[in-house]
Amino acid sequence: MSFNRRSLLATGAAAGAFSLLGRGPSFAATPGPNVPANLIAAAKKEGQINVIALPRDWANWGVSMDRFQELYGLKLDNANPDGSSAEELQAIRSLKGQKRAPDVVDVGPAFAISGAKEGLYAPYKVATWKDIPNDVKHPDGLWYGDYYGVASFAVNKSVVKTTPMTWADLKKPEYKGMIALNGNPLSAGAAIGAVYAAAIANGGSFDNINPGIEFFGELARLGNLNPAVATPATLVAGQTPIVINWDYLSLGYKQANADKANIEVLVPKEARPFGNYYCQAISKFAPNPNAAKLWMEYVYSDEGQLAFLGGFAHPIRFDALVAAGKVPEAVMKTLPPAEGYKGVKFPTPDQAAKAKKDLTDNWPKVVKI
Amino acid sequence: MKAPVAWLFIGAFIGVSAIFLVAPTVMLAIQAISDDEGWTLEYLLDLQQYRYWVAFVHSMQLSVASATVGVVAGALIAFAVLKPGTPRWLNQAVTSFSAVAANFAGVPLAFAFVATIGSLGLLTNLLKTIGIDLYGMGFSLFSITGLTVVYSYFQIPLMVIVITPAIQALRPSWREAAENLGASGLEYWRHVGLPVLAPSLLAGWILLFGSAFSAYATAYALTSGNIGLVTTEIANVLSGNVASEPQIGAALSVGMIVVMVVVLALSTWLTRRASRWVKQA
Amino acid sequence: MSNRLGLGGWVILGLAFAFFALPLGMSAAFSFWEGGDRYGFAAYRWLAASPALGEALWLSVRLALATVAALVVLLVPAMIFMNLYAPKLRPLFEFIAALPFVIPAIALVAGLTELFSGEQWGWLKETPFFLVIPYFFLALPYVYRALDVGLQALDLTTLTEAGQSLGADMGQIIGLVVLPSLRSALVGSTLLTLAVVIGEFTFANVLLFRTYAVFINQIGQHEATAAAALSFASFIATWVAMLIVLVAGSRKQGGR
Repeated sequence: MSFNRRSLLATGAAAGAFSLLGRGPSFAATPGPNVPANLIAAAKKEGQINVIALPRDWANWGVSMDRFQELYGLKLDNANPDGSSAEELQAIRSLKGQKRAPDVVDVGPAFAISGAKEGLYAPYKVATWKDIPNDVKHPDGLWYGDYYGVASFAVNKSVVKTTPMTWADLKKPEYKGMIALNGNPLSAGAAIGAVYAAAIANGGSFDNINPGIEFFGELARLGNLNPAVATPATLVAGQTPIVINWDYLSLGYKQANADKANIEVLVPKEARPFGNYYCQAISKFAPNPNAAKLWMEYVYSDEGQLAFLGGFAHPIRFDALVAAGKVPEAVMKTLPPAEGYKGVKFPTPDQAAKAKKDLTDNWPKVVKI
Repeated sequence: MKAPVAWLFIGAFIGVSAIFLVAPTVMLAIQAISDDEGWTLEYLLDLQQYRYWVAFVHSMQLSVASATVGVVAGALIAFAVLKPGTPRWLNQAVTSFSAVAANFAGVPLAFAFVATIGSLGLLTNLLKTIGIDLYGMGFSLFSITGLTVVYSYFQIPLMVIVITPAIQALRPSWREAAENLGASGLEYWRHVGLPVLAPSLLAGWILLFGSAFSAYATAYALTSGNIGLVTTEIANVLSGNVASEPQIGAALSVGMIVVMVVVLALSTWLTRRASRWVKQA
Repeated sequence: MSNRLGLGGWVILGLAFAFFALPLGMSAAFSFWEGGDRYGFAAYRWLAASPALGEALWLSVRLALATVAALVVLLVPAMIFMNLYAPKLRPLFEFIAALPFVIPAIALVAGLTELFSGEQWGWLKETPFFLVIPYFFLALPYVYRALDVGLQALDLTTLTEAGQSLGADMGQIIGLVVLPSLRSALVGSTLLTLAVVIGEFTFANVLLFRTYAVFINQIGQHEATAAAALSFASFIATWVAMLIVLVAGSRKQGGR
């Protein structure tokens, strides 16, 4: 395999000017997380861990992956960094029995559940299991949430004179053709999050996403909605200067492109924020099962969880860490104000399934560009 | 005897195709009509839903439009470039450009067009300064019309490449003979040139139709799937981040196959009619 | 009507040039942008420093060459023989050539995976050249059409009979008479295949191979100007490469 850690790191280093490499609390001096020695030995014997769909600049995965390799000397292979959850599960199926198969996956809740149902995961409970809220984990340890974010606005101030502060502001005529989503609400998690957040701000709830659909229908009618898929390029170039996306992504783009454009990121304050989380799971057919378990222990250790904050994503054990006073003040300052996140709750899988059905049925009828 | 060798090659091609192409197709067809309990027509009937029905209509509109634009523009460009008097460098530059442009699609193409004639594009703004408000007049890059314009970027070059051998086969002696008989340029084309080219033009049209019909990345990047197209609908159910329903995807794929078979059958019939007189010559 | 490119011809080419140059130019302009009013090569320098780019490109080139070889060996003889001895099989060939357009890439990957799910195929699925199988079929519709148009323009039966009456065997007829007459169709097919393989994304991505297109897509998800730089540079580079192939090929012919 010609792609190895060396070339990955080299690319990462070259991209240092554009990425979050090195952000977050400095870990060099701290020892690794508290993990049984025989697990480390077993993992080192396997020598390798295969991860999938972890972009380096998404929730600071780049730093986490580097630190993990540094701590334990394992070789980390990151396949398909921009893959979707569906592609991750497909990789487990397609590559069964091969050395290249993924050991762990990071998928959206719907896929965590479907993967468990299909028998793709192996159970494992990490040392910090009890800190993980019950509503975001499988009771037998087949999958559990690792970090979350909330829907936010990313605004290119070089193009947009006045920043919209609320959902209602987005309807103003000055924003014609400016507002875009990160994909299709019928399939992309970030886009669904945007519609859900709009629903909650306009009288809807976790059980009722329709006001959100109508909100975007209105934006489309007014001509404010830009149907193109928003990418860092379109945001920075000013073609889609207002993007509704997960906060950790928006903050990441802001930092990476600070030399090119002035991006402002905010969580609109009208209503309770809408958040969503991703889940870790170990593949039942993992070629390196002990390395996989070691990886999980790392991700859920204090160090691993705090690393997410370096990428502006909230770790799943955030409340427990804050209560224990383990989050450095400097890090808290880099995040948007805490009030924006107060009371964040997540929809249950049933609510999410109903929302998806409503989207599938109503979005094409209501939103006409 | 050459015949056995011939059948070996024909058989090899058909065999390879059967294994790697037909088998997955059959699997798709089976998937489209089965669920956890057994056989069902549920998913095929689901195709009647407004959403999927509209997707087929849109896809066909887009494919027909971009194929037609591609055939006309591509043939004209190919003809201009292939004239004996055209400088050789121009001929080679256009041919090589066409090969590259025929595959320049997806996100880079979408971005290039959004930056040019998107709602905040450079050309859009430039035209506004001289008084032409494109979007005010009703044009939108994010519509079937807009998509046709964008698709033309790879459809036209594709046609240029495909029609080139046919145009090169038009013998100058026919042209001379026609002129000697007193025919004008237009009459030559009407009675000799176009009829001879017709089968190849049709073949090109089918190729362009198929190319547009199965295109996905460009349309998705431009519209996030908000203009329903069969390919974006399939992608939604097969490879998104939220949930998956492979059977609907399989049903949609079966629908696509039906459309292509119909188009192929129509064009085979038309081609046979068009080449009838050629064989008699 | 003369053989020169008259006014009409230049108008057509001029319009075409404007249509094709403008969006490409916009990509180029954006790739040189460094924020505010500054323009420069920062994005390109970043790309040049990336070793992953070279590896991805080399893999894609090798895959393209392998696919062209497979097509020449399997498809060209089959089509020639079909036209000569089995014209009734044409509808079957047409159907096969149209199938790749309507089977979604995702479905074909799933199908191929099922097909090769046995343990004994592990070695095949580990190598990126497994991709040649789907790539053969992705290029098939284009290559079939290009070859078909070229073959229709010949009078195969007469050529073959003439050759046979002169005492040549089938191999000689195909190698010395038919293939040279198909030159422009073959060149077109090769160019199309190269472009298809180098631009192909879905299969490589799902099967986790790092081809050139996968690399470009990754860049595009995270970097703004680097993505534009890469697509513009690729476009120009591929264009120049093909131009060289064409010019070199015609030079060799020039002697005759």
